[in-house]
Amino acid sequence: MSGVFVVARRELSGLFMAPFTWIVLLVVLFINGLLFASILYDTQYNVTVSLNGAMTGASFWLWMIFLPALLSMRLVAEESRSGTLEYLLTAPVSDAAVVVGKFLAATGFLAVIWSSSLVYAVSLDLAGGPPDWPAVLGTWFGTILVSGLFVSIGMLAATSTSTPLLAAFLSMVASLMWMAIPFLAARLMDYLVPLLTSSAEEQAALVERMAGVVASMDALRHFSRSFQMGILDSAEVIFFLTWTGFFLFLTARSIEARRWRG
Amino acid sequence: MIEVAHLTRRYGALTAVDDLSFEVSRGEVVGFLGPNGAGKTTSIRILTGYLAATRAERLVVAGHDVQRDSMGVRRSIGYLPESVPLYPELRVEEMMRFHGRLHRMDRHELRGRISEVLDRVGVGDRRKQLVGTLSRGLKQRVGLAVALLPDPEVLVLDEPTSGLDPIQRGEVRELIRSLADDRTVLLSSHILGEVESMARRVIILHEGRKVADGPPAELATTLGGGGHVAVEVMGAASAEDMASLIGSLPGVESVSTGDRVGIHQSFEVRGEGDLREDIGALAMTQSWALRELSWQRPTLEQLFTRLVTGVGVDELASAPSPGAEPAPGAAPGGGEALASPAQPTLAAGLELSAPKGPAESLPLGTPGDAAQKTIYSLNPFDRGASRDLSKPVSVDAPAPESAEDDGAGQGDRGDDS
Repeated sequence: MSGVFVVARRELSGLFMAPFTWIVLLVVLFINGLLFASILYDTQYNVTVSLNGAMTGASFWLWMIFLPALLSMRLVAEESRSGTLEYLLTAPVSDAAVVVGKFLAATGFLAVIWSSSLVYAVSLDLAGGPPDWPAVLGTWFGTILVSGLFVSIGMLAATSTSTPLLAAFLSMVASLMWMAIPFLAARLMDYLVPLLTSSAEEQAALVERMAGVVASMDALRHFSRSFQMGILDSAEVIFFLTWTGFFLFLTARSIEARRWRG
Repeated sequence: MIEVAHLTRRYGALTAVDDLSFEVSRGEVVGFLGPNGAGKTTSIRILTGYLAATRAERLVVAGHDVQRDSMGVRRSIGYLPESVPLYPELRVEEMMRFHGRLHRMDRHELRGRISEVLDRVGVGDRRKQLVGTLSRGLKQRVGLAVALLPDPEVLVLDEPTSGLDPIQRGEVRELIRSLADDRTVLLSSHILGEVESMARRVIILHEGRKVADGPPAELATTLGGGGHVAVEVMGAASAEDMASLIGSLPGVESVSTGDRVGIHQSFEVRGEGDLREDIGALAMTQSWALRELSWQRPTLEQLFTRLVTGVGVDELASAPSPGAEPAPGAAPGGGEALASPAQPTLAAGLELSAPKGPAESLPLGTPGDAAQKTIYSLNPFDRGASRDLSKPVSVDAPAPESAEDDGAGQGDRGDDS
């Protein structure tokens, strides 16, 4: 266990010592700030709407496609290329500790980025527009869970190659696919259900069933259903943690597979 | 300390390490030697737990089974990969501290140990420098310091001197030699001089197989047949007379006459032991002017080339080998095919990777297994003549049918009409 924190600490300090991180931080915070300010003006200083827009709007999900991919590229693929992964994998720490350590570092970095919304909330509070604090904190917590999920997906994609650029691309595609599951599933259902069923009732029942299954995979919905409202629902937390754990497990296996592939 | 038995590693269809077995005992310094792609790095990576073995009967490093107790192995070895992986954004000291933490070293112990190790490798004054700004040679030293930090029993160094300039190479070599006093070291290199100067035992790998194993000097003697004395003299007598005079000395086995450079004639004298004094005395009595009288040891370089390419040194090449007899009708020189290094001439216990069977280059047009091919002449004066390709073309004037050239049997080089 101590290995996890040693690795996480090194990765996080390594991240903050690289110009890459500061440029990403600068750009993301600048754009997010701009977005927040513009929504604030557009909505005639509607605090709740502006905070929601800045924290959970389309921009958040867009960042969720790029940032975890770039971080996993840096943490996994670049290390594999520079040879430091060989160093880590021959050091006395388990593969799982390396994976979890890197995961914690990347998620921690994203948590720092999303903390900007807390700064907005505090400054609004000081300026006399008290925000809905439970919703703000819940959303912030949720964004960290979502970040963790996408980092784990990105890491899994990145371990499959040691070409950083390809790793980043694969991670982005994987993240995008994960977000697009509900949409893709709906299209697939439109096509498949008439083929599988004979009667209209049967069709309706099947659609309902499958919609339920698809909805349970929908990260966006899970996110908006609870955290965004300031509710900490254990079911939602478990949903994110389970999938994250699953992808981390696969990542560790994928790293182990490298030992066989060479 | 290191025991490897029947280690095989495949990458798909490619066999990188093929049934490799060797043992390294405590305190020994062993060098893996082989060209690029011989399987050195793969073997090392398997021993350090970075790669898995496709098959291995026994893989034990520092008392831990590599396949079952990888963590135990990793804790008790210091490994420096060829690429010297260090985090460029960390300071030397931070890199060391990180490594110490991974090894669960105590904070106080770590502080003292870092200074000690950095001083030992000679980078004590670079503690605060960023790793990314270090020169290649310094980086190599820091890499060594990292490997040494937990005071490992076994040190594994993959190409520790690659990419360094000659001065840095010398320094690193010296450093490794000094480290070897109190621990087991396994290192690899494709440069012979390096291995020779650092390791007391050399394992030569070629295409994943062990082709030789022993102390460098011993390998040189057993494979190269000892050394010879190089003589270069100026004398009134002819080269043949001088050679026969030298040959009459006791202990001399063979004298080969070398080039004549200006007025100096050179000889290579082989025999029992060092014959320099006798030859010097002979030169004095004959009033030859000596220009060179030196003892030449076969370098590992030559042996290595021979082991790896299967091309013999002079005496092996000229040794009669079955199937390489030049046919009588062949053009001078053309029939003197390269003999394959004959297996029995080598010391027992040393296998050679040389291709088996006759490896001579057959003269052009030697009949082979291929189906008969006919070529039609494009020469307008030949009137559409054709020739069987499997028969050689005679360079000489058409010989009469009675040419007695069928006796050789080997190459059926009867002239076609």
